[in-house]
Amino acid sequence: MQNLYWKWQFKSAPYWFIAPFVICFIIFVFLPFSYSVYLSFTEWHGQETKTFVGLANYATLLKSGDFWQSIVNSVLIFVLYVPIMLTLALIFAACLSTTWMKWTGFFRTVFFIPNITSVVAISFVFLLIFNADQGILNQILMSLGLLDEPIRFLETPWWARVSVAILVIFRWTGYNMILLLGGIQSISKSLYEAAKVDGANGIQSFWHITLPLMRRLLAFCTILSTLGTFSLFTEPFILTGGGPNMATTTPVVLIYNESFKNLNMGYASTISIFFFILMMILSLVQLRLFREHD
Amino acid sequence: MRIQTRALSIVMLVVFLGIAAAFLFPFAWMISSSFKEKSEIFANPPIWIPAKLHFENFTQLFTEKNFGRVILNSLFTAITGTVGGLFFCSMAGFAFAKYNFRGKGLLFGLVLASLMIPMESSLVPLFVIYRDLGMIDQLWGVILPRLTSAFGIFYMRQYCMTIENELLEASRIDGCSEARIYFRIVAPILIPAFASLGIIFFVEEWNNFLWPTIILRSQENLTLAVAIRALQSGVRTPYNLIMSGSVISVVPMLLAIFIFQKQIIAGLTEGTLKG
Repeated sequence: MQNLYWKWQFKSAPYWFIAPFVICFIIFVFLPFSYSVYLSFTEWHGQETKTFVGLANYATLLKSGDFWQSIVNSVLIFVLYVPIMLTLALIFAACLSTTWMKWTGFFRTVFFIPNITSVVAISFVFLLIFNADQGILNQILMSLGLLDEPIRFLETPWWARVSVAILVIFRWTGYNMILLLGGIQSISKSLYEAAKVDGANGIQSFWHITLPLMRRLLAFCTILSTLGTFSLFTEPFILTGGGPNMATTTPVVLIYNESFKNLNMGYASTISIFFFILMMILSLVQLRLFREHD
Repeated sequence: MRIQTRALSIVMLVVFLGIAAAFLFPFAWMISSSFKEKSEIFANPPIWIPAKLHFENFTQLFTEKNFGRVILNSLFTAITGTVGGLFFCSMAGFAFAKYNFRGKGLLFGLVLASLMIPMESSLVPLFVIYRDLGMIDQLWGVILPRLTSAFGIFYMRQYCMTIENELLEASRIDGCSEARIYFRIVAPILIPAFASLGIIFFVEEWNNFLWPTIILRSQENLTLAVAIRALQSGVRTPYNLIMSGSVISVVPMLLAIFIFQKQIIAGLTEGTLKG
């Protein structure tokens, strides 16, 4: 009897261990997602009745510019921030891993702080900083004589995107720096010593040793940033509400607005499906890259 | 050469101190603004340090906006979410790492699937399910979808792979049940992993915004991030209060990272590279 019980619990143990995940998966991932697919074929504004409309939402989506606009916005924000962020992160990581740099622990912590502190709180500070007429940034730029007129950061489409990009750089440079630091520290010291013997200076060994060896890790960081940019929500939501003129409406802001502001729940689900396909492709790329990296 | 290196070291230190000041400026501005009167927030020329420190910005949050409760709510979601998440993710990760069983491939496929189906792509149906289950405006509702994160399962699976099979086999020969093996042998080995992943979970939950802002409604159920945002109301927004709320949510994190900087950064790096 004891033996039979032992066998049973041994055989069934892995299923018990995984059961909570499976239950959560069904309730919070599988059911909602299937329901989302169904809703994407209906017109529904949150009342009792849903009307089945076939592919109408899909046609609307392809015709109306909203979804494409949100994709374009994300791409533009991505282009505005990723090169700057990764360059900064790489420079920080390279400098903080040298022997001559002082206070490296302190700098690492300071650059990393924005990443673990509340997005909502930080977005609100930037909202004050970027304020056109009374914001501290315009006041400083004008008192330095760099500007005659205040920049309307959050009220003109391009500056609004720049503002979101600056906020994202602020929040994510430190995080990427930490990832790159890990990469740099795993490069063998002997490579640098050999280069030094051959008469290479610090900058030369950075270009010819560090950079080529970091290529894959930089690609990994880029993919992470791509996923992050398309699902950007809180930053534009608080800074600009997705405006002006939808200039900072990312796909997730669009889904949120269509679902909970305009109550176009069927249409919002169609957008969600497109968003899902996009994210799936990107995460497949990421998984592949990561497997090679491993 | 040596003098050159020394000069470079000093120049770079100054440059980095400048950059660090830029990174800390928003926090300094947040703290300074949190002590201002509403009219001083957008003063021209800017007020760096308010003449009178308006501590009532903070007391007002507690007396009028129920922030005592709000802070407890944030702590509750962050702590239960973290502990629960660690428990469920480590069990699943352990099962995937150390057992062979029928359906393993399929179940692991589900983990991959949940990694690829972002919550953002099913906000509406989730909201409907929550409404039908009566979980709108419930703190539990904030925590539940995050309890079995695919990332956490991956992370724990990776860590569990390093546990030696002989150790598990030996306890089985001694007649240990699998549950006992998990609690008595595996869990203690996983303590470092619990610490690293726990920090990630806690930070994420503390700063979580999208889902809580959708389902939380009444003032006494809000978490900090949502409560801060709820202070915003058009042109009459009390930005001084928003800033003092922000200070309340940010300062504990700042203190924690300066005290535990090594562990936190190591944990987070390890976490991202593993998961």
